[in-house]
Amino acid sequence: MSAAFDRQIRPIYDDIDTGSNKSAILACNKLLKKYPKSDLSLKALALVRSQKVEESLALCDEVLAAKPMDDPTLTAMMHVLRGLGRHADMVSMFEEAYKRQPTNEDLGMQYFFALVRTGNWKGGQLLSTKLNKQFREARYIYWSAMCCVLQANDPATPANMRELLYKLAQRHVSSVWKEDDSSADRFHLYASILQELKLSEEVKKLLESELGQVVCSRNLTCDELRRDIYKANSWFTEEGATAQKRIEERKDRNWLEFLSVLDATFAPLTGSESASDEAKAECSERVARVLELFNKLAEADGQADRSAPLALLELEKRLWAHGLSTEPSRLVDLLQQYLEQFGDKAAAYEDLKPYVALEGDDLARWTSHLESLPHATSSHKELQRTINAQKLLRYNLQDADLTVEKEAPRAVQLIEEYLAALALGKDLPKTELQPADDLVILAAHVFVNMYALSKDEAHLHNAIVILEFASKRSPKSYQIHLLLVRVYRLLGAPQLGLEHYRLLNAKSIQNDTLSHFVLSRASTFSLAASGDLTYASECLESSQIYMSNSQETSDFIVRAFSTERYSQIPDFITFEDRLDNSLQRDLVKIEHVRMRLSHEVINSELADMELIELKFIFDRLHHDNRDSTIVPNYQPRASESFVEQTKLFATEPGFGWLNVFLKIYIRAFQQASDLDDTVEEKLLIGDRPKQSIIASSGTPLLERLAVRIPEETEELTQDEKTFFDYATDLSNWLGPYHDHTRPPPAAVLAEAARQSELKTGRPLRGIDIPAGNGHANGSAKKAEDAPVVTEPPSSLASFFDLMQARFKAVVEAGNQINELLHVATMTQEALLLFSLSTLRFKNATVVKVNRLGALVQSFKPIRAKGIEVLKEIAAELVKIAEQEITAEKRKAFVQNCKVLEATSEIDHDYILDVAKKTTDGRKKVLEGVGKGIKRIYTNHSS
Amino acid sequence: MSTLRPFRATDLFKFNNINLDVWTETYGIAFYLSYLARWPDLCCVQEAPTGRMMGYVIGKAEGSTTDFHGHVTAITVAPEYRRLSLGRKMMDLLERVSDEAYNGFFVDLYVRCTNDIAIGILGLGPGGKDEEDAFDMRKPLSRDPMRRTVRANGRDMIVSAHDVS
Ligand SMILES: CC(C)(COP(=O)(O)OP(=O)(O)OC[C@H]1O[C@@H](n2cnc3c(N)ncnc32)[C@H](O)[C@@H]1OP(=O)(O)O)[C@@H](O)C(=O)NCCC(=O)NCCS
Repeated sequence: MSAAFDRQIRPIYDDIDTGSNKSAILACNKLLKKYPKSDLSLKALALVRSQKVEESLALCDEVLAAKPMDDPTLTAMMHVLRGLGRHADMVSMFEEAYKRQPTNEDLGMQYFFALVRTGNWKGGQLLSTKLNKQFREARYIYWSAMCCVLQANDPATPANMRELLYKLAQRHVSSVWKEDDSSADRFHLYASILQELKLSEEVKKLLESELGQVVCSRNLTCDELRRDIYKANSWFTEEGATAQKRIEERKDRNWLEFLSVLDATFAPLTGSESASDEAKAECSERVARVLELFNKLAEADGQADRSAPLALLELEKRLWAHGLSTEPSRLVDLLQQYLEQFGDKAAAYEDLKPYVALEGDDLARWTSHLESLPHATSSHKELQRTINAQKLLRYNLQDADLTVEKEAPRAVQLIEEYLAALALGKDLPKTELQPADDLVILAAHVFVNMYALSKDEAHLHNAIVILEFASKRSPKSYQIHLLLVRVYRLLGAPQLGLEHYRLLNAKSIQNDTLSHFVLSRASTFSLAASGDLTYASECLESSQIYMSNSQETSDFIVRAFSTERYSQIPDFITFEDRLDNSLQRDLVKIEHVRMRLSHEVINSELADMELIELKFIFDRLHHDNRDSTIVPNYQPRASESFVEQTKLFATEPGFGWLNVFLKIYIRAFQQASDLDDTVEEKLLIGDRPKQSIIASSGTPLLERLAVRIPEETEELTQDEKTFFDYATDLSNWLGPYHDHTRPPPAAVLAEAARQSELKTGRPLRGIDIPAGNGHANGSAKKAEDAPVVTEPPSSLASFFDLMQARFKAVVEAGNQINELLHVATMTQEALLLFSLSTLRFKNATVVKVNRLGALVQSFKPIRAKGIEVLKEIAAELVKIAEQEITAEKRKAFVQNCKVLEATSEIDHDYILDVAKKTTDGRKKVLEGVGKGIKRIYTNHSS
Repeated sequence: MSTLRPFRATDLFKFNNINLDVWTETYGIAFYLSYLARWPDLCCVQEAPTGRMMGYVIGKAEGSTTDFHGHVTAITVAPEYRRLSLGRKMMDLLERVSDEAYNGFFVDLYVRCTNDIAIGILGLGPGGKDEEDAFDMRKPLSRDPMRRTVRANGRDMIVSAHDVS
C-alpha cells in the first residue's frame, strides 16, 4: 500500500469510528475513483454501520471473491462480516488468508479466533494443533485441550465421543505439563480433565502437589474445583481435616469450610442405608469433637462472626435428620441464643429461616418466646429486633391463624409500629433507606394475603396507600417499588406500575432478568392500537441487551483464550447461551409482535420478516433467567408467596405459553408470506443460528407446529385457550388454499433479485433464475387443481359469540378490570389474526385466477360477527372507564382504607389522592383499549 | 455466615438484590467480562447459604515496577447484609491475592465512599474525615515492608468523583 493511500484512508477509519458514516462513504467513493482496486471493504463497513445492509452485502461479496490477505482489508472485513452476522464467511476468509501465508502467526490466531466465535471447537482443536507444530508454543496445546473439552460438553456431541475427547485433551496437556511454569488456569484445566476421566489417583496427586496447594490457597476458582473433586470422590474426612485447619489456623470463616467439617462429621453414615453400630459410634465421637470445636469458636468470635453459632444450628439439624439428636430442647435453645446474639442484624431472619419450620411443642415454645420479646422502635438495634421477631412469627402462622379477621389487626399493628419507627430515620437524606421499611413491607404482605383469602380488592387499595406513603419516605427502596408494580398491575392500573418499575433504573443485563415485571402479557395493557407506543418501545429498549450480547460476549471468549483464562471460558459460553436463548427475550418478542399487529398495516413484508425471526425462535432451547426472588416474601410457610399471590391471571407465561404463541403466529405468518424454506435459505443475510437439538430432531417444522402438547396449553388462561382453538381451526381451514395459491419459489426469488438489483445495482449472489418462471403473480399449479371451497368451520364465528358471553359475564361479576381487558384484547387479536390469515386473498387477481371467489365470500359473515362483538366490547369499556373516575368510586376507595386513617400521618386527603391516581390509571387503560379496538374494527372492516 | 466464592459470568443473572441499591452501578456486559477475562482471581462473591448473593468485589492488578498493585474497582454489599464484616473479608482476600499471586506492592481503594468505611474495610484503624467523595487509599503488602508506596498524605487524598474509574 502506498504511503499516499495510507494517508488518505486514515480519515475514513476515523469517520467510521466516530460514527460519521456519511462522510466516510463520500471519502471512500472519492478514493475509489483514484484507486479503483483499493479498499472496498472500508466502504462496506461504512454501509453496514449506516444500516445499508443490501448494498454492503454486494460489496462484501466482491471483496471476498478477491481473497484478501492484507491486514487493513482483513480488519475492515472482520467488522463488516460481524455486523452482518456472517461469521461463517469470516472463518473462510481467514482460512484462505492463512493458507496462503502459513508462516504468519497472527493470521493463524485470527483464523483460530474466527473459529471460536462460531463455536467450531473441532476446527479450533485441529488448527491449534497445527499452530503448535508451526510455532511451538505450549499455549497452543492448551487451546487444543480446551477445544476438546468444549466440544465434549457441546450438547450436539454424541455421548460416546465425550470420553474420547477428554482423553485427547488429557494427552495434549500431559505432553506439555510442567509444574513450575504452570498458571492457575492451566492447573484448573488439567485438574478438571483428570476429574472428568475419573482418574482419581492422578487428580489427587495433582491437587496435593506443591503447585496444587499453592494455587488452591490463593485462587478461589481452583479451590472450588478442588472442593468439588473431593466431594465427588467422597473424600469427606480429608476435606474436613483441611477445612478445620483453615478455620483454626487461618481463621477462615468461609461457610464452605464449616460445611466441609460437618460433611466429614457425618461421613461414616453416608452411603449405606442402615448404618452399622460401629459407624454410629464413630459418628457420635466425631459429633462430640465438632461440638467442642464450634462451641469454642462461638465463644472466641463472640459478636464478630455468625459462622460458629450457625454451624451449631446446622449440626443440630443434621443430628435430627439422622435421628441422633440427644437433647430435644436443644434446637429451640440454640435459636433463642442466636436471636439474642444477632437479632439486631437484618440478616438474622434469613439466617434462621432454614431452622424454624418447627412443629408441636417446639413450635409453641419458640412462638411464645417470640411473642414475649419487647416491641420497641426507639433505636436502630431495637427496631431490627422487632422486625426480625415479626418476620419469624409470621413465618410460622398456621392456616387457622390466617383468616381475614385475624390478619386485619396484624396489619394495623405493623403500620403503627412503622409510623412510630419513622422517627428513627427522619434526618436521613432521601438517598438512604428508612430502617423501618421492612415493617411496611410486612404490612403490605398482610393486606395482599387478605386479598388472596377474600379476592376483595379493598385490601389491595390499602396495600397501595401504605406502600405509596412508604415510597415517599424511602424513595430508593427497590423492594417497595417492586411490590407496587405487582399490586398496580393486579389492580388494572399498569401505567402506575410501569412508573415505579422505571424508578428501579434497570440497566444492561437487568433488562433480561427484571423486565418480566412489566412486560409479561403486556399486550393486554398496550394502547398501541390507539397510537400510544409506550409498551412497544419498552419492549424494544429492553431487548437491546441481546444485541450487545451477540456482538460483545464472543469477544471475551476470544480474549479469555488469548489471556489463557481457561477457567472462565465455559462460564462465558454458558452466559452467552443463556442470554441469547433467553425465554424472556422471546416472550417480549411475542408481545411486541402482538402490539405491532394492532397498530401497523398488516402486509406481506411484515409477515416475511416476522416469519423468519419466529421460526428461528421456535428452534431455540430456552433458558429462564427471570428473577422473581428479588421480590421480598414474608408470607407464612403455609401460604403462597407474595409473587404467587400477585400473579396476573394466576399464571405466568413460560416455555409452554411461548411455544403455543409461536405456533399460532408462525402458522399465520406462513399463510401470509410467500417465503418458503428454500426461498428463505437464499435470502438470509447472516448465518443461520446453530441448529439446536430441537431442530435437528428430524421432525419437520410443519408437523411440530401442528402438535398440541397438554403441558403447553396448561400455561394458558381460559381465554387464551379459546383463542388457540380458534387460531388452529382458522389455519387448518385456510392452509390448503394458501398452499395452492402461493407463487412458486422461483418466482419469489426472481422478484427478490429484481428488487435488490434495483436498489444496489448488482445482482443477488447465489441466485440463478430458471428462464420463463419470472412472473411473480403466476402460479405453476393449475386452477382446476384448486381445493374445493368448503364452508368455514362454525367454531370461527362462534368464537366471537363465546367471547361476547365471557365479556358480559365478567362485566356482571363486577369490575375485574384485568379480566375485562384480557377478554377484550384476545377478541381483538382474533380479528387481527383473521386479517393476517386472509391477507393473500385481498388480491383480486389471485382470487380470480384461482377461482376462490366463494371462499372470499365466506369470510364476510365471520368478519362481520367479529366486528359486531368488538363494537359492543369497545363501547362497554369506554363506559366502564367513565364510571371509574366518578366521585363514588373514589369515595368507596377511601372508605376501604378507613383503618389507615386512624393514624395521624395518613390522612383522608392523602388517601383520596392515591384513590384518584389509581382510578385515573384504570380509566386510562380501559378507555385506551376501548378506543384502540374501535380503530381496529374500523381499519379491518374489509 | 457466608460463602466466599469466585465471581462468575452467570452471576450477572442474579446480582439484582445488590445492584438495585442506589450506590451500586450496573455496567454493560463488557465491563464484567473484561475483568473476568483477565483477573478472575481478583473478583469474588459473598453468598448466603440460600444461594442469594450478598456482595461482591471486582478488582484488577495494574501499574509498573514499584507501582504494581492490586486495585479495587468496585466493592459492594447489599444493604441487608452490611456491617457483617463481609466487605472487610473480601478486602482481605484481595490483599492476599495481590500479595501472594501478583506480588504487588500495595492494594488501593479508589472508589466513592466515605473515609470511615474505606479505612474500616481496609482495616487501617480509625479514620478522621467523613467527606462523601471519592478518594485514594493504599495499604502496603508484604513486598513493601518499609511502606515506601504509602503516601504521607494518603488519607487526605481526595479525588473528585469524575476521576474515578
Ligand atoms: C462499603 C461497603 C462495601 C462496606 O461493606 P460492609 O460489609 O458493610 O463492611 P464491613 O462490615 O466489612 O465493615 C468493616 C468496617 O468498615 C467500617 N464501616 C463499614 N460501614 C460503615 C459505615 N456505614 N459507617 C462507618 N464505618 C463503616 C467499620 O469500621 C466496619 O467495622 P465494624 O463493623 O467492626 O465497626 C458497603 O457499605 C456498601 O456496599 N456500600 C455501598 C456501595 C459503595 O459505596 N461502594 C464503594 C464503597 S468504598
